[in-house]
Amino acid sequence: MAREILPVADRKQVRAYARRLTLKYPRALATALALHGLAAVAGLVVPWQLGRLVEDIQHGTPVNVAVVAAAIGVFLLLQGVLTRYAVLASAKLGEKVLAELREEFVDRVLGLPLSTVERAGSGDLITRTSRDVDALSRTVRHAVPETLIAVVTFTITIGALLLVSPLIMLPMLVAGPMIAISTRWYLRRARDGYLRENAAYADMTEGLAETVEGARAVEALGLRERRRLRTDRDIARSYAAERYTLRLRTTWYPAVELGYVIPVVAALLVGGLFYTNSWVELDQVTTATLYAQQLIDPLDRFLMWIDELQVGAASMARLLGVANVPDDRSATTARPAGELLEATDVRYAYREGRDVLHGVSLTVRPGERLAMVGPSGAGKSTLGRLLAGIHGPRTGSVTVGGAPLVELPLDALRGHVALVTQEHHVFKGTLRDNLLIARPDAPDPAVLKALEAVDALDWVQGLPSGLDTEVGSGGLAVPPAQAQQLALARLVLADPHTLVLDEATSLIDPRAARHLERSLAAVLEGRTVIAIAHRLYTAHDADRVAVVEDGRISELGAHEDLVAEGGSYAALWRSWHGTPTATPS
Amino acid sequence: MRSLPEADSGVPDIRSPLHYLWWTARRQTLPLLMGIGFAILWMLVQALMPAVLGKGIDAVTAKDTEGLLLWSGVLLGLGLIQALSGIMRHRMAVYNWLAAAYRTVQLTSKHAAKLGATLPKRLSTGEVVSVGNSDIAHIGNAMDILLRGTGSVLAIVAVTVILISASLPLGLLVLFGVPIMAAAVGPLLRPLHRRQQAQRELSGELSTRAADIVAGLRVLRGIGGEQVFADRYRSGSQRLRQAGVRVSVVESVLEGAQIVLPGLLIAIVTGIGATFAVAGDIPTGQLVSFYLYAVFLIGPMRTLTEAADKLTKGHVAAGRVIGILSIEPEVTGGTGTSEGGVLRDSYSGVTLQPGMLTAVAAAEPDDAIVIADRLGRYADGDVTFGTVELRTLPIEEVRSRILVADNGARLFNGRLRDELDVRGKATDEEVRRALHAACATDIVEALPDGLDAEVAEAGREFSGGQQQRLRLARALLADPEVLILVEPTSAVDAHSEARIAERLAEARAGRTTMICTTSPLVLDRVDHVMYVADGRVLAEGTHRQLLDSSPEYAATVTRGED
Repeated sequence: MAREILPVADRKQVRAYARRLTLKYPRALATALALHGLAAVAGLVVPWQLGRLVEDIQHGTPVNVAVVAAAIGVFLLLQGVLTRYAVLASAKLGEKVLAELREEFVDRVLGLPLSTVERAGSGDLITRTSRDVDALSRTVRHAVPETLIAVVTFTITIGALLLVSPLIMLPMLVAGPMIAISTRWYLRRARDGYLRENAAYADMTEGLAETVEGARAVEALGLRERRRLRTDRDIARSYAAERYTLRLRTTWYPAVELGYVIPVVAALLVGGLFYTNSWVELDQVTTATLYAQQLIDPLDRFLMWIDELQVGAASMARLLGVANVPDDRSATTARPAGELLEATDVRYAYREGRDVLHGVSLTVRPGERLAMVGPSGAGKSTLGRLLAGIHGPRTGSVTVGGAPLVELPLDALRGHVALVTQEHHVFKGTLRDNLLIARPDAPDPAVLKALEAVDALDWVQGLPSGLDTEVGSGGLAVPPAQAQQLALARLVLADPHTLVLDEATSLIDPRAARHLERSLAAVLEGRTVIAIAHRLYTAHDADRVAVVEDGRISELGAHEDLVAEGGSYAALWRSWHGTPTATPS
Repeated sequence: MRSLPEADSGVPDIRSPLHYLWWTARRQTLPLLMGIGFAILWMLVQALMPAVLGKGIDAVTAKDTEGLLLWSGVLLGLGLIQALSGIMRHRMAVYNWLAAAYRTVQLTSKHAAKLGATLPKRLSTGEVVSVGNSDIAHIGNAMDILLRGTGSVLAIVAVTVILISASLPLGLLVLFGVPIMAAAVGPLLRPLHRRQQAQRELSGELSTRAADIVAGLRVLRGIGGEQVFADRYRSGSQRLRQAGVRVSVVESVLEGAQIVLPGLLIAIVTGIGATFAVAGDIPTGQLVSFYLYAVFLIGPMRTLTEAADKLTKGHVAAGRVIGILSIEPEVTGGTGTSEGGVLRDSYSGVTLQPGMLTAVAAAEPDDAIVIADRLGRYADGDVTFGTVELRTLPIEEVRSRILVADNGARLFNGRLRDELDVRGKATDEEVRRALHAACATDIVEALPDGLDAEVAEAGREFSGGQQQRLRLARALLADPEVLILVEPTSAVDAHSEARIAERLAEARAGRTTMICTTSPLVLDRVDHVMYVADGRVLAEGTHRQLLDSSPEYAATVTRGED
């Protein structure tokens, strides 16, 4: 069922975006870098002083030890203070950029074309909003500043080495190729390795969560052994992935660690030999050796974080990819004249070559209540979505007042047609927040009236905090039936001319559902209602019934007429109503 | 290194979190000891480097080429040993981390499966999620830090001994200075953790908000309101940003302090060393060594702070894990046997005749669920199976002979065919027939890979009605002696409901089946209907008979229609 519909941005896009982000606040970036640079310089003073000290003692020059020790202390204090402000400055910048990144992403998600949202399902998007945003946060909070600091410190230390003695620095360069080659080798394999490792680890923890959440089903269906095998298999897969990256590190770590020691040995040995030949001074040898030692830390930081940068780039590619979804509607200047909803010879396919609607034509008069019934998979919901303007038809047209639905801007479309499905999502927030979604300025009396229309007023008033009750994830758990009532109350508040209700009362207790539908009908008097019905009394109460079978409307007419005609609707009705008859199958 | 996972995860010691951690460590004694050995070697080699470097500088000072070659060689050799012992330590650390984490996963998973229906009653989802998300990692971290932690302690001891042999006050300074420096950052940790906690909470809230938007996106797209959500997300995101800055205010002070505090030590040690060197008590090279020792000590010091943190977190995590492992199943069984036959719940009077399709129509839907739970022995009750009390049968046997299929039973991730045929012995023909009976053939046909499709996310990609039909097919394929279906068609359209009711009788021919439902389409097609009100059977007969004889029944099933 993995339906990869949402695109992923390519490397070029990611790079361009990262560059834009980095350079968006040049002053803040320059400040942070300058502070880090100064801190690095302060840190370099101590080995230099030490070198001088060694030289002076060697030559018997009188030294004031207290002054030297105090100077070392002062410079390290300076380094500490500068580091403090440097870290703070880059963290502030990072948080700012990060906030922009995630806000832009959510804006993009909220602007996704309706048809993509409908088709893609929530899985991929949820992964992107949770895992990818988290991964990118880690990268921006830690990896980016750490690598930046490392690069600055490394560069300045190399600069200091050059100042002290280019001659001694020269032999240190032999470590360069060793580190560079092994790192290149490692990075080529690391990203995929870690992605696989993370995925396998996530599979394992998800498997655990599945066993725990579905514990009753595990017991009922006797799945204990199967879950054990699944756990062991997940662990084995995770272990294999871990072993792979461990093998990469087993080659890479010793190579770079040896690469760290070589410059120190080279500085000492070659510097010492040069000193013996009097080409350099003793303080140069000491300082250079200590600097070589001091190079290890930034280099190590840089190498440790660089693959995290790759992971962050992969996440960024998926976040940016959402912007690559092409828009599926092109608003024109067509505006509806009237509210007559008309579908003409409509065909639609989710997958090429497999039409689920085969030339459906249907006219819904303003103010009419139309019920659609039919077996699952017959195309009822698809037709409902086309009538609500969610999808455009492959061929044919769906128009309201003569204007094609897909040519209306979103806001205008929703003033005409709104869709409520059986999906009963309750948003995190108060009940009021949940109801005001479509009409943020509605006053409380209107909200209460809407709740009354869907029979939910008693329930809401029975809650301790009434409309201010916190619901959704982390708040009060709203039972599915009440969630559907809320969805309908939202719709009442939104008050469009035409409503498409796709099994919008399916989770409500049957008897209550019928009462609700009747009170809803009273409020919606004069509105056009297309109800995809799950229970037959909905059809019974409607003005007309459309029976959808195999992507076609096979019967259309008033309830009594269809029953009198004795077709498949009549058979179903009789069976439901308890009159003996041949059963449909 | 033995391959993971272990075939037998063993019986954990769950007397206390410490006992659990100790037991875990004992299960991997050898790799742990080997890892500790490599960690000690690795740290000691690093502790020796300043001395060697000092000797090298001395050789340079003395223009002693032979000595210089010797000490450079030793330094390179130490570097080589450090690289090799370092990677071996790392390998053992990863192995120990994984072994402990995997074992905890195995134990929790096994115990959750054993607890079954008891688990959801005793544990909130949050506690469970925390085990998978962080606790196993914390337990792994607690094992991992044992390696570096031990190495660090020994390195500090080694440096202290070296310094004491050079100068007692210097050694004592380090001996007391290091713990004081490590403790000096302590006051910063509390506000840091508090602010980090606030940041984590806001971050969690924000991702919940984002997930909420995604999950409700289809609802939003149906009726509008995107701007409201964009604004709410933005204000949450800005709050998180502020919290992040507040964290880094403290964090940056900590960073600075971790330079300044050791810096103090470095300055004093170097100063004392310089005094000795000026007085000619030590060679100048050793002065450099002193400086490098002080610098080196920063590492082990940080490791000790890290160790305290990781062991604390590991302890808390182990506490949560044993919290789960110590839950006992609520319902237990005996050792009896039963020939099978009539299944009867004496409190309600619900009686299932063998081989018959019986429906229970309850005025209050919850009553039917309670009865189903007693009949399936998910709750205690006075239930007889044939001639024996159900409670005397082994619980495993009850589960395999009586299947209660409710709407809370989720689909598991995996290949669809495997997830439907949970007992793993159905033929393709049987699978086909079960799908047909559950009216689920069209769902499978619509999938690009058909029965080979992967079910993801607990089948959430299927609509509610589709999930219900797949669950029904799964229950039918399990083919138990007694099948109890709770509201199996509540989310299915009328057309399909009628077909399912029709086909169910055929699919369960000769087997005992009970359906809890109030749908006339289903009730009309069963052998026998029991009407339950206030928890007890009020009337029974066929659907038609009850419609005529019981006005309450008629009111319940015709849904108050006039």
